Amino acid sequence: MKNRLEELRKAHGIRQEELADVLGVSRQTIGSLENGRYNPSILLAFKIARYFGMQIEDIFIYEEENQ
Amino acid sequence: MKRAKNVWLSVLGFALIAAGIYLIKTVPDPQGIMRALPFLLVGFGCGIFGHGLGELLAKKAAIVDPETARRMEIDQADERNVMIGSLAKAKGYDMMTYVFGALMVAFALMNASWTVILPMVIAYLFVHGYAIYFRCKFEKEM
Repeated sequence: MKNRLEELRKAHGIRQEELADVLGVSRQTIGSLENGRYNPSILLAFKIARYFGMQIEDIFIYEEENQ
Repeated sequence: MKRAKNVWLSVLGFALIAAGIYLIKTVPDPQGIMRALPFLLVGFGCGIFGHGLGELLAKKAAIVDPETARRMEIDQADERNVMIGSLAKAKGYDMMTYVFGALMVAFALMNASWTVILPMVIAYLFVHGYAIYFRCKFEKEM
């Protein structure tokens, strides 16, 4: 699953540490999400979407052919 | 309350270590249970003392540096860290299944006493029974 987290974070001008603090996760989790190595739980996905004021599917892009 | 418990654990651990060392030094020709008891006391004492003192130091560090304590709390509850921990434990459990199995077969082939093999088999089956119990429990809950 691809995501636009890095792009959105940079557009908001915040560092990984700051985003991690707001979401209550570790900085490594944000890094892994941005690299696509880790897919978030639905709760974290909601938290991220709420933080950026967007829908989950606008941030996380589900690609069926890769599943 | 928790601080008092950790202080008592540290004291108890230290007392066990002291008692173990005292027995090692004062019993010149130990027989029966006394051959193992002093070393068990030292072993348990070290574990309890280390745990108690570690908790005390962690609490003190949290008071001195609350920001680091908050970060450690986040790291512990972090969903990725929790998942990594669970996956690592699952891998360890799978490996334990093979290693224990091989060990039991090796002991059986060496004609080891049943007093050695039987507790191993019981422990092996207990661990797998425990895993099956939780699988059934989680199947109902989730």
